[in-house]
Amino acid sequence: MSNFTFLNPFAVLDEPGTYMGDFFSNNFAKKAQAGNVILNLGPQHPSTHGVLRVIVELYGEYVLRSEPILGYLHRSHEKMAEHKTAYGFLPNMGRVDYLNAIGWNWAYTAACEQLAGIEPPERAEYLRVIAAELNRIASHLVWWGAFVLDLGAFTPILYAFDDREWICDILQRVTGSRLTMNYFRFGGVGADGDDRFFSLIREFIPLMRERLKMYKALVTDNVILRRRLEGIGPMDADLCLRYGATGPLVRAAGVPRDVRKSVPYGIYDRFDYNIPVSPVNDNFGRYWVRMEEISESLKIVEQAVERIPPGKIIVDKAPKPAWKLPPGESVYSVEGARGEICVHVISDGGKSPYRVKLRAPGFSNLSVFAEAAQGTILADAIAILGSLDLVIPEIDR
Amino acid sequence: MMTTDAWSEAFREAGALAVTRPDYKRTGLELSAHLPPESLIKAAERLYSEGFSLLFITTADFSEGFLVTYVFDSFTEHKRLALRVLAGDRKDPRVPSIAHIFQGAEWHERESYDFYGVIFEGNPNLVPILFPGDDPIPPPHPKSQEAIASIRKLGFLGEAEWAVAGWELAPEPAKPAAEAKPAAKPADKPAAEAKPADKPVAEAKPADKPAAEAKPAAEAKPADKPAAEAKPAADKSAAEAKPAADKPADGGKEGGK
Amino acid sequence: MEISGISILSLVTIIVACLLVIALMVVNALVMVYVERKGSGFIQRRPGPYEVGPWGTIQAACDAMKLLAKELFVPANVDFFLYFLAPVLAFLPVLALFIPIPFGPFLTTLKVPDGVVLILAFAGFGLLANLLAGYASNNKYGILGAGRAVSQGVAYEIPMILALLAVVFQTGSMNLSEIVEAQGSAPWRWNFLCQPIAFFIYLVTLVAETNRAPFDLPEGESELTAGFHTEYSGMGFALFFLAEYANMLLVSFVCATFFLGGYKGPILDGFWWTFIKAYAVMWFIVWIRWTFPRVRFDQLLNINWKWLLPLSILNLWITAVVIKIV
Repeated sequence: MSNFTFLNPFAVLDEPGTYMGDFFSNNFAKKAQAGNVILNLGPQHPSTHGVLRVIVELYGEYVLRSEPILGYLHRSHEKMAEHKTAYGFLPNMGRVDYLNAIGWNWAYTAACEQLAGIEPPERAEYLRVIAAELNRIASHLVWWGAFVLDLGAFTPILYAFDDREWICDILQRVTGSRLTMNYFRFGGVGADGDDRFFSLIREFIPLMRERLKMYKALVTDNVILRRRLEGIGPMDADLCLRYGATGPLVRAAGVPRDVRKSVPYGIYDRFDYNIPVSPVNDNFGRYWVRMEEISESLKIVEQAVERIPPGKIIVDKAPKPAWKLPPGESVYSVEGARGEICVHVISDGGKSPYRVKLRAPGFSNLSVFAEAAQGTILADAIAILGSLDLVIPEIDR
Repeated sequence: MMTTDAWSEAFREAGALAVTRPDYKRTGLELSAHLPPESLIKAAERLYSEGFSLLFITTADFSEGFLVTYVFDSFTEHKRLALRVLAGDRKDPRVPSIAHIFQGAEWHERESYDFYGVIFEGNPNLVPILFPGDDPIPPPHPKSQEAIASIRKLGFLGEAEWAVAGWELAPEPAKPAAEAKPAAKPADKPAAEAKPADKPVAEAKPADKPAAEAKPAAEAKPADKPAAEAKPAADKSAAEAKPAADKPADGGKEGGK
Repeated sequence: MEISGISILSLVTIIVACLLVIALMVVNALVMVYVERKGSGFIQRRPGPYEVGPWGTIQAACDAMKLLAKELFVPANVDFFLYFLAPVLAFLPVLALFIPIPFGPFLTTLKVPDGVVLILAFAGFGLLANLLAGYASNNKYGILGAGRAVSQGVAYEIPMILALLAVVFQTGSMNLSEIVEAQGSAPWRWNFLCQPIAFFIYLVTLVAETNRAPFDLPEGESELTAGFHTEYSGMGFALFFLAEYANMLLVSFVCATFFLGGYKGPILDGFWWTFIKAYAVMWFIVWIRWTFPRVRFDQLLNINWKWLLPLSILNLWITAVVIKIV
């Protein structure tokens, strides 16, 4: 006697009590058609990279509807900012997005500097660019490995981590940490790069270029991978615009929007590099854009290491830990690895910022998913999810 | 491609209460428009038609109410614009949703709903996004009585490039706008002090009957419809609200048109 | 003495051989786990297991011990009988499949006249086990994996049969020993050269039939977590694991027998040649697993129905015509 029907995976949803779920799955199930399967991907699932949860309504293996559920890693960074001094909130920035800590460092530091009118010295600007670009490469590498892992190839992620190890070693010398880096200070950076730091970078650049060739031969030109990516999950410019998607998503959609070029912050206007814009807006376009960005970032790092001037790394009379932000508001965008990182600081001149809004690119990018994944096969939906380059702590903040 | 001046004019047409032009070097914003809730959708539609994208929504708690700031940026050119709406009623803060124009706003609005309890009318799925849905917790972000700041005292929105007469969020030591101030003062100030939070709502109510009628109908119907239905109503009410706003301050007409 | 046509002696031989085959399967699983780990480590530029025993050789045995000692977690509302039947059903039929395999000239459990039919008939049991496992474990991932397992297994069995049939046509016998004998000692007389299409088709289908990457859709880790065996832990999982490696071993032996000359080699015919060839094929399976991404399910079926099946039919037809002419 089978009791299989007792808790039916094919639960008929219009029968009350047959579907047992939490608030979000019940909320999602309200609009589901009877007879379809509602599948919970996550929060513990191999391809949701952390604790994202996606509820999908399946007809066979076709995704009819989906809804990402967030908040499993919400740590109230924004509320924390209101209880710390502006300076004391700096370490949090390394923890918002663990793969792109420097990008967040930059956004928050620069937002406060903009409000207070502080100009970091020349050498600090170069060090910032070097750190940010290396961090972008590291982030893209991890994305690349994890994305190809989503497509079922296990080996590339270990190659990617092998290369990322170099970047961790390099950045460790100046930031003191390998993951949750806290490098930027108001008016400069925390530490100067020593000779070993620069020689490691000079060693790393040609090595990484060789590796990129190998990755192209091994992974990018693989016919199975191409078939899994090409034509899957097209996202046009209008879709990106409506959802506020930024970063590689819009560049894959053919919009040459990169904050480094459109609003050259820091000293990005002094370097010679391109913004890769993909002619195709599918998964492969996003893949290609990120792979190209690695080589463009290498160019920037190469130039920055050549040209870095001697000098101070932090302004004189740099803000102390008890420094108070002047009253007012400040919005500052930087181009993170995942898109436009934006920090909105509101200050009333008190001990701590009055309100800090962290605009996570992944948050807006993920909101595209429900529309992009509609009507695809489950495996393609997973591929689209991977192509968005999600880092859950950043999305949940 | 619209210049900042053209945007200033566009927001004015959309029914803005005030348009300020913050110092870009210091704030990173080129233009900021303070809108009454009912003209938000019109302004957002205008921004969408010009290829702007919603970057994020910041809600901040002030003694005047919850100030909801929408920051937009264009895909083709760099121009960061902010729309601001004050949800004045602290007990029941309500702002119209723009999720039918910018679908990405849905999540940002839900986040504000989580943190501050601001209700975005017309949001297709206004349930908690970062907080648990089945075990609701009170919104954690509103400030305590000691910590709360005032938009006016802080001069947070800055000097208005243009404002309706008696704009209740004008910075307090308003020096350059001195000629507008004395006119607004005798009629407006006592009312503003008596119930600063309710004011925009209280003023809008008698004027816009069509809007008031449209709202309950909108809530009963599916998510897409109210936007289309509310639009003419919102336009009309915005147009009607202006003379109503001007009325108590007779001297403020030069600011109105 | 004879019991219904089988002598007591051959009955004893069969029993002993079956025990040896069981031992082989278990030892093979231990060896292959080690080879797979070291191999993937080599491919991925990392050491692989090196802590337990010399060069990490005892790692697989330790893992087996761990799996034995683990709690057998049974989720709520499973179909109890089918849930426990499935892993056993996955493992046991593989035993019967080894009966006709000629490991060496004299090292054959039973020289079955229709050995091919026996192998192909019993191969379907693994599929049934996967279906039952997915169905009984009361899990949506499981049921999706089971559905995939069945449609994939059924689909890929056909070109596999047709590929083997081409060799059978050529040899004129279904007896595996005779197929080996028909191939000469020299490598250029082996079937993979005169049946290249069949060999290629068989190589593709053997990966799909054993549910190994890039055709591991029933387990499809990135979307279905673990597919049909999501809810199995401890020994339930271990049996599926064992069955997977036993299946790999079987298809590799069949490949060696049909296409690579079986126990025949350039020098000194014997069972060692069968093992060398079979393990070379196994290494091939391991190698592609750690190199390729996974195909999508509709692509998987398209490869089969649109390419492999017509190709295998064509190959069979050509073989038939050539044999008729020659």
